[in-house]
Amino acid sequence: MRGLEQRPAWLKKSIINSPAIGTTMAVLKEYGLNTVCQSARCPNIFDCFSRKTATFLILGNTCTRNCSFCAVKKGRPANADVDEPQHIVEAVSVLGLSHVVITSVTRDDLPDGGAGQFVKTIEALKNKKGDAVEIEVLVPDFKGDREALEAVVGASPDIFSHNIETVPRLYRAIRPQADYNRSLEALRFAKEIKPDLCTKSGVMAGFGETKSEVVSVMAGLKAAGCDIFTIGQYLRPSTEQIAVERFVTPDEFLGFKKIGLEMGFEKIESGPFVRSSYREAKT
Amino acid sequence: MTEVKVPDLGTGVEGATVSMWHYTPGDTVKQDDNLVELVTDKATFEVPSPVSGKVIETAIPEGSVVRAGDLLAIIDERPQ
Repeated sequence: MRGLEQRPAWLKKSIINSPAIGTTMAVLKEYGLNTVCQSARCPNIFDCFSRKTATFLILGNTCTRNCSFCAVKKGRPANADVDEPQHIVEAVSVLGLSHVVITSVTRDDLPDGGAGQFVKTIEALKNKKGDAVEIEVLVPDFKGDREALEAVVGASPDIFSHNIETVPRLYRAIRPQADYNRSLEALRFAKEIKPDLCTKSGVMAGFGETKSEVVSVMAGLKAAGCDIFTIGQYLRPSTEQIAVERFVTPDEFLGFKKIGLEMGFEKIESGPFVRSSYREAKT
Repeated sequence: MTEVKVPDLGTGVEGATVSMWHYTPGDTVKQDDNLVELVTDKATFEVPSPVSGKVIETAIPEGSVVRAGDLLAIIDERPQ
């Protein structure tokens, strides 16, 4: 039976019976919005949708990169939807969200990498009527384009996040079109532009990285001024993606949390089902 | 009677496999007790019973692939 034999007992999720799940799905559909929850086939989807939270995937559902872990469709994306920022505002209002995570596919085809759409979305959410929302952006590396990074940071999100995803040794296999140092530099530069900005990054465990390699990445992120670090188990979305090399135990995740706190990170989220934006609004 | 169906996740996951039933027809189940385990390519999910009652039917045998909206079980929530 698929995946059953090799999957440890701690990697089991409960499906929550909640009418809020249907409501969230209906709102997303009504406004034509994509979520990374659905595109990445996230196992936390029941928890998040039942609490009426979602991580919006802007700039379409087609990515120009070819990361081997990711289930998001790859290919040539369509033009950006100019109404998307407003649709997100409307969905956020209807769902009554207090914390919004905005991420995107990587748009290497666009001159600004899609930074302008991030800025428009942040601005639209800040101008939203009613209760203020906390805005977290999870951005691509914009190929290291400083203007793009400056634009997004300048729009003043509450949290600026960019996932380093894995250790440098595994970049060629996991993120072939990305560069470890470029990603680290994006986080460092964001902090340099705006020292009081909360910055965040995350790693997926289970690709074959060693503990010392992860600790070294954590130290690098801390040196780049990163405030929040997340680490969770990589789960293969389908047989089309790279296989899980190892299931990291809950105790090992606790170990990473302890190490991170000792390093001085403001916050560490570490556990098998931790995803970079999972339950952020609750913490 | 309450029908328990495979939830629509909108995730593009083509199907899940029924890996284990925790109850058989005739058993009494409590609300929120795990009724059946589903395995997708990415994760393992427990489907809790939405109501307390008697299991009338487990519609899908273990090892079969189900899709969103498929009937999994029928629970009779009337007092026995």
